[in-house]
Amino acid sequence: MKKVKRRATAALLIAALLVVGLAVYLVRLADNGGAWASYFNGGTPGGTILDRKGVVLYTSDEDGHSFAADWTTRVACYHLIGDAMGNVRTGALRQFRDKLAGYSFIEGTTSGETFSLTVDSALNAAAYSAMAGRNGACMLIDYTTGEILCMVSTPSDDPANPSSEPADGTYLNKCLSASFTPGSVFKLVTLAAAIENIPDLFERSFWCEGSAIVGGSTLTCTGAHGTQNIEQALANSCNCVFGQLAVELGPETMAEYAEALGITAELQLDGMDVLSGSYVKGEAGSIGLAWSGAGQYEDLVCPYALLRYVSAIANGGEIYEPTLLGHDALDGKTRLLSADTAQRIAEMMNYNVQNAYGTWVFGGLNVSAKTGTAEVGDGTSHAWITGFLNDPEHPYAFVVVLEHAGGGLANAGPVASAVLQAAVAAY
Amino acid sequence: MSDIPDLTQYIMTGTKYLLPILALWILLRCIRSMLRERYEPETWAWLLDEDGAALPVCHWESIIGRAASSDVVLDMPGVSKLHASLQRDGDGDWTLSDLRSREGTYVNGEEIDILEPVEDGDTLEFGDAVLTFREIDADERAALERRRNAPGRFIGPGITLLILSIFQAFLALEFTITAQQEYLFPICLGFFALMVMEWFCYLVTRSVRRTGFEPETLAFFLTTLGTAVCASGTPEDMFKQTIFIILGVALYFFLGAWLRSLERVKASRFLAAAAALGLLAVNVVFSEAVFGAKNWLEIGGVSFQPSELVKVLYIYTGAATLDRLFARRNLFVFIVFSAICVIALALIGDFGTAVIFFAAFLVISFMRSGSFATIFLAVSGAAMAGFLVISVKPYIADRFSTWGHVWEDVWDTGYQQTHAMSAAASGGLFGKGAGEGWLKDIFAAETDMVFGVVCEELGLILAVLAMFALIALALFAVRNAAQGRSTFYVIAGCAAVSLMMVQMGLNVFGSLDILPFTGVTFPFVSKGGTSLVSCWMLLAFVKATDTRRDASFVVSRDKAPKRRYEDEDEYEDYEDGSEEAGA
Ligand SMILES: [Zn+2]
Repeated sequence: MKKVKRRATAALLIAALLVVGLAVYLVRLADNGGAWASYFNGGTPGGTILDRKGVVLYTSDEDGHSFAADWTTRVACYHLIGDAMGNVRTGALRQFRDKLAGYSFIEGTTSGETFSLTVDSALNAAAYSAMAGRNGACMLIDYTTGEILCMVSTPSDDPANPSSEPADGTYLNKCLSASFTPGSVFKLVTLAAAIENIPDLFERSFWCEGSAIVGGSTLTCTGAHGTQNIEQALANSCNCVFGQLAVELGPETMAEYAEALGITAELQLDGMDVLSGSYVKGEAGSIGLAWSGAGQYEDLVCPYALLRYVSAIANGGEIYEPTLLGHDALDGKTRLLSADTAQRIAEMMNYNVQNAYGTWVFGGLNVSAKTGTAEVGDGTSHAWITGFLNDPEHPYAFVVVLEHAGGGLANAGPVASAVLQAAVAAY
Repeated sequence: MSDIPDLTQYIMTGTKYLLPILALWILLRCIRSMLRERYEPETWAWLLDEDGAALPVCHWESIIGRAASSDVVLDMPGVSKLHASLQRDGDGDWTLSDLRSREGTYVNGEEIDILEPVEDGDTLEFGDAVLTFREIDADERAALERRRNAPGRFIGPGITLLILSIFQAFLALEFTITAQQEYLFPICLGFFALMVMEWFCYLVTRSVRRTGFEPETLAFFLTTLGTAVCASGTPEDMFKQTIFIILGVALYFFLGAWLRSLERVKASRFLAAAAALGLLAVNVVFSEAVFGAKNWLEIGGVSFQPSELVKVLYIYTGAATLDRLFARRNLFVFIVFSAICVIALALIGDFGTAVIFFAAFLVISFMRSGSFATIFLAVSGAAMAGFLVISVKPYIADRFSTWGHVWEDVWDTGYQQTHAMSAAASGGLFGKGAGEGWLKDIFAAETDMVFGVVCEELGLILAVLAMFALIALALFAVRNAAQGRSTFYVIAGCAAVSLMMVQMGLNVFGSLDILPFTGVTFPFVSKGGTSLVSCWMLLAFVKATDTRRDASFVVSRDKAPKRRYEDEDEYEDYEDGSEEAGA
């Protein structure tokens, strides 16, 4: 009897396992309950997402859901809001669904909530039109507050009437979840590293004869730029100068700046993960390292990370983290680079526009910018432009990338200009 | 008119918070009542050695041997570790069985084999130990009775049942607000029937002067949740559900009464085994495939699951009295029987039930043999069989591949789990209100995803309390093992609660993606006629372990051997003390 009595405690093991299982569930519930509870429309009592001007982008109640009334708004905000099936991972419907459903651990789902995003759907529509069917990404941000005003990714779709065979990349918000070869826009990273690590950078005179030999291979330039100072080299987007600066700085310093400036860092936007870019260190003194300083080689940049960096340049080296939901209180700035370095880069970017690109590109607005024409290996190039408006009334920074679209200034420039014009006109 | 919606709002909000409180109160009262009382060791006989020193025999089934784990320890070189077993039956007759000891066992100088009757004054020899067997006399018997605790002294079961009735009344009240007009009558009738039933059972057990009612109260509590789930999801089946509850409770009392006589049980075990195999054979041959598993029989318009009843027969067959425990042959026969059952279930495609059976098998075989080697052998055998089943039945492999990835395929393989998790989370701690959920409209919600339905409509607290109600029953059964009279009852009780707990774990954690989804039922709560009936029958095994004084109708009052102790009425005196004093 005694033996059996002892063995009876085996049943307690099962009871203990049940308690452990229950604990696992409770932990998971506390962690993910909001996401679970609001996943299926049948269970959410509904909620509404507005843009910054109060335009309804999504609303749902017991009778079903609907998106914006206007087709252009729906398509331009497709990646911002996401679709009903949850295909767009970074869409607000997936990322902020607990906010939408009004979930709490104690009360469960209560009633549908209404909340606003910082994006202006009219700017999204303007950007979508300007991109004119080309694939890519476009973002505009208020660099003094971190509020994202425009975020468009293409190809897009109509969430109210989803395509049965969407084009490749439709479900991807390329602003946040894609990275591209940056080309010359990456020179802003090399430049920051050079300013802070090469004391006589501004006294130097650089020579470009159209190509240079680095590590036994030829580094080609866009032209024979002759004698230049660093300011002119950036305006000329001279590969020889930035390639040789990267070699001089060395792979470790370059990688360190790529990380510190957020290009390869693991960034988040309102709690959602943003794709990190990548910077592969070329061997010291190699041609690969030289090309990596000019934004080629294995460099990959996510538009969001670049916009965040340029915002910091515009805002004296530090920023409030970008947001779609808005900051409740403005505190907790992140410093990416020193105010001095930021000031110098900002001036040089302004010099670019004044002397190389032409102010007419931006319809007379006082813009500081850097273009990029990133060779992607198949003979085509990604067109990049990033920069900001020098106007305390309209403190906007932007990034545009158009895949396989050709030259940066000629193709991405007008898109940036269109969005800036629309923003300045609207606010 | 504006008064009416206001009132309903108050009722819904009020009951929402009241129900978990009442449930917690019921559970705490039951747990305290079942687990607080200290068990006094009972002495049923004495073994006097040559010096006159007396060794107490504290159980109906005791092992005599040199090992420290023996019930009566004789530390002498000639005594084998496990030498003999001494057993008392319900009539007070004693028998002695030799456990293949080295030196043999002798009664009054004659060597014995098994089940040799022993009487007061006999001389028993175990190797070089010579002892005189002495039964307890009338005074000792009376003292024994007096010492034993009766339930209800501190926590009145009647009050607990009253709280349960209030719980049911408020739950029904919620349904009067949320249910469709046409189903109002069957739903109210269902809850009313439940109340009538529990009070009837209570009065019946009181009328046979038994005061323990906690296991029944917990079972009725769980059944109430099941009734609520049925009323919410499938109100058209309320009549059927009520009939099945009545049938389950009736069979509970029948099986309980049947278990009173150990002799009857022992005699009918092979019959039960045959019935189990017969049912499974019928199932394999005639069953209809419903959603993968062919575990349904349709008889006269009522579908029924033979495998559910086999659970009861399996435990009935698997539990054993002490004398049979030490024969390897018996264990071997049991293993073969178990293997046939599990293989039959695999053939039927009822993978979940096969797992439950296997878990019950592990518990029973461990309690019978105490050997980890046997368990290891069984587990490795089962693992191989499991691979075989998974390779033969691709849809089971699918379930395993989905496990842990349900959110990646929300509209197909992860459909049920993700919907259950979503609904469960949306209920919060207090739920949306009875009948107010949406999960109930999804297929199999009231069986496989019942935890989600309870969480969504009645809240996480109630759902967790439901789990703890079953765990409390398990603790009760394990605790009773210390005072068990026959290993049969102890093994059967522990196997029954283990089976129910494993089933609950597979149901709950399967629907929450913590375990693979196997589609078994939550004991008492899931809708499903046969399942409900079998759970009530399993409860009889738990009830049989309750040896508190006059607690369980399954445990007969200790009759003294008729020849020496005629006066049964003497026990009348103790009845009064057990009224609900502490309530
Ligand atoms: Zn050059």
